[in-house]
Amino acid sequence: MKIIEIKNLKKTYEDNSIPVHAVNGVSLSIEEGEFTAIVGPSGSGKTTLLNIIGGLDDASEGTVTINGVEINRLSSRKLTDFRMNNIGFVFQAYNLIPVFTAKENVEFVMHLQGAKKEHREARATELLKAVGLGEMMDRRPSKLSGGQQQRVAVARALASKPKFVLADEPTANLDSKSTENLLDIMEQLNKEEKITFIFSTHDQRVVNKARRVVTLEDGKIKSDITKS
Amino acid sequence: MIWSIAWRNVWRNKLRSIIMIAAIALGLFAGVFTMAFMQGAVDARIQSATKTELAHLQVHAPDFLANNDIALKIEKANEMVRNIEALDSVVAASERLIAEPFIMAAHGTGGGKLIGVVPQQEKKVTDIWEKIIDGEYLEHESRMPPVVIGEKLAKRLRLKVGTRINVQMIDRSGDLSMKGYRVSGIYRTTNTAYDESTLFVKFDDLKAQLGMEDNTAHEIAVLLDNGNEATAVKPSVEKLAAGYKVQTWKELSPEMSLLTDSMDQYMYVFILIILLALCFGIINTMLMSVLERVKEIGMLMAVGMNKRRIFFMIILESVMLTVTGGALGILLGSAVTKFFETRPINLTMFSEGLESYGFASQIYTSLRGDTLVTIAILVVITGLLSALWPARKALKLNPAEATRAE
Ligand SMILES: Nc1ncnc2c1ncn2[C@@H]1O[C@H](COP(=O)(O)OP(=O)(O)OP(=O)(O)O)[C@@H](O)[C@H]1O
Ligand SMILES: [Mg+2]
Repeated sequence: MKIIEIKNLKKTYEDNSIPVHAVNGVSLSIEEGEFTAIVGPSGSGKTTLLNIIGGLDDASEGTVTINGVEINRLSSRKLTDFRMNNIGFVFQAYNLIPVFTAKENVEFVMHLQGAKKEHREARATELLKAVGLGEMMDRRPSKLSGGQQQRVAVARALASKPKFVLADEPTANLDSKSTENLLDIMEQLNKEEKITFIFSTHDQRVVNKARRVVTLEDGKIKSDITKS
Repeated sequence: MIWSIAWRNVWRNKLRSIIMIAAIALGLFAGVFTMAFMQGAVDARIQSATKTELAHLQVHAPDFLANNDIALKIEKANEMVRNIEALDSVVAASERLIAEPFIMAAHGTGGGKLIGVVPQQEKKVTDIWEKIIDGEYLEHESRMPPVVIGEKLAKRLRLKVGTRINVQMIDRSGDLSMKGYRVSGIYRTTNTAYDESTLFVKFDDLKAQLGMEDNTAHEIAVLLDNGNEATAVKPSVEKLAAGYKVQTWKELSPEMSLLTDSMDQYMYVFILIILLALCFGIINTMLMSVLERVKEIGMLMAVGMNKRRIFFMIILESVMLTVTGGALGILLGSAVTKFFETRPINLTMFSEGLESYGFASQIYTSLRGDTLVTIAILVVITGLLSALWPARKALKLNPAEATRAE
C-alpha cells in the first residue's frame, strides 16, 4: 500500500540574491514497509526533501500526500497534530529533551497524544527494551552515549505509532560500531514490526543495508534502485 | 508532563536562575518589609490619635468646632452620655467642656485648648492618664484645682509638678475670668504638637470658672469596641443626639483618613516599581533561555508540541521562576515582619523629628493578610507578563530548525 505520494515537488530558497533550487521537481512514492535510503552529495537537497515530506517545511510547488491526506493544505495546528500522529522523527542531533530521562522522553509524545500514564509507561519500557536500553531508562541524555541517544530517539519516534519514520542522517555523529548497532535495530523493527523507514545518509555501509536507494543530485532524482 | 518539563527547565541553568530568584526574593522582601513598616507607623499614628486624642466618635453642638464658642453647648449631656453608653458597640462615653485659655506662668505664657473632664469617666474613653510621666492624673485632692499638662508645654514654661499657673478665659457672661491651678501631672504622647497645646482640668473646676449651666457639655467623646465601626455606629448615635453634630474620627481628622488611604496607594506604587524593575531581569533571563534552546524547541514542535503548548511552557517557566523568588521574598519579609510585630523597631535617634509629626519613635510592623495576597497576585502577573515577549519569540521558531544541525 502506498503511504507517501510526492508529485513534482519544488523548493526554492529566495533569501539570497541567487535563488537556490534545493528540491527541483521530485516525484516519488513510498510503499508501506519500505526501508529506503536517500543519498546524494552535500547540498543535493536530502534534508530539504525529508523536511517537506515530514511537514516541517513547506514546498514551493507540488504536493505531498500521506495516507490520502494532502499535507500542504493543512493549517499549522492541524499539521502539528498530523505529524504527531503519523510521522516519527529521528534527527542527527538535538533529538531529546535534556531535562527528561530516556523513558520520559519516549513517554512525552504519547503524553501529547493524550495517552494514560500506565499505557505510556508500559509502552516506553517495551520500546526502550526493544532498542536495547532496558537498563538505562532512567538516565538523562547527558548520561548516554551518542549511539544510545539515537536509539532513544528511535524508540521515541515509534512511541506515537506512526505510519513511517523519517531519519535525517541518524548516524552522522556515531562511530562505526554504534552505526551498525542502530541500523540493525532499525532493520529488525522494519522486518518484524513492518515499520517503514526513510533515512538519508552519507555512509556507504548504511546505504548497503537499504533495500531501496534514491540518489539525489542538485535537487533532482538521479537514480532510484530497488534491490531484489 | 509540561509542568514537570517547565520546572526542570527553570533549574537547567542553575546559577542564572538562582541569581534571578535571589533578585526577586530580595526585591519582594524589601517591598513587604517596607510596607509592613509604613503600615505599622500609620497604625500607631491612628492608634494614638483615636485612643489618646479623639476617641472614635464625637458629639458637638453644630457649629462648635468652627467657632469654639462656649455658648454652643450640648443640653442634657448626662442623659445623652448614659444613652450612648447603652448602645451595643460602645465601650464608654465621656462629656467634656472646652475652653480657650490664656496661660500665665512665671516663665512665660501660652494658649491652646483646655479640656474639662470627669476623670473616672474620661479614663474609660482615652488613655491620657496612662501617659503621665510625672506626678498624677486629676484624681488627687488638693486645695487648688489640679491641671495636667503635656511635657512639651512643661518644658517651654519651665513647669514642674506642684507649680502653679494662672488661667484666664472669657466666661459664659462675657467677663474675663482668672483662676489658679496647680500642675498635678505631666503627660507625654507621641505627638508633640498635641502635648504643647492641650491641658486637662476637672470638669467641675472648668464648669465653675466658665459659669456653665448644669448638665451641659461642649463635647461628648465616644469609644467603640472597634474603630473601624465608627461609620456604622454613627447613625445610632445621631438618633440619640438629635439636633447635634456627630462625627467619626476620620471626619474629625481628615489628614488621618488621607494618611491611611494614600498610604495604601503609595505602597502599591512602590511594589509596582520593584516588580517593574524585576520584570526586565525576568524578560532577559527568559529570552536567553529561549534563544539557547532554538533547536530543542524546534524538535518539540516537530514531534507534536503545538504552539499553544510551547507558549504555555515558556509562560509556566517564567511564572515558576518568579513565584519561587516571590514566595521566598514574601516568606522572608513576613517572618522578619512577624519578629518586629512584638519587638519594636527603635527610631529614637530620629524621634524628635518623627514625634513633631505625631509619629511614634518605636514602630511595631504590621502586615495585613490581604496585602500579602495582593502582592502574591502581582508577582504571578509579573511572571506572566514578563514571559509574553520571550514566548512570542519561541512561537516564531521553525520546526525545520531542529534538523539543521551545524
Ligand atoms: N534555510 C535555507 N535557506 C537558504 N538555503 C538553504 C536553506 N536550507 C538549505 N538551503 C540550501 O539548499 C540546498 C540543499 O540543502 P540541504 O540541506 O537539503 O542538502 P543536504 O543534501 O541535506 O546536504 P547535507 O548532506 O550537507 O546535509 C543547499 O544548497 C543549501 O545551501
Ligand atoms: Mg542534510
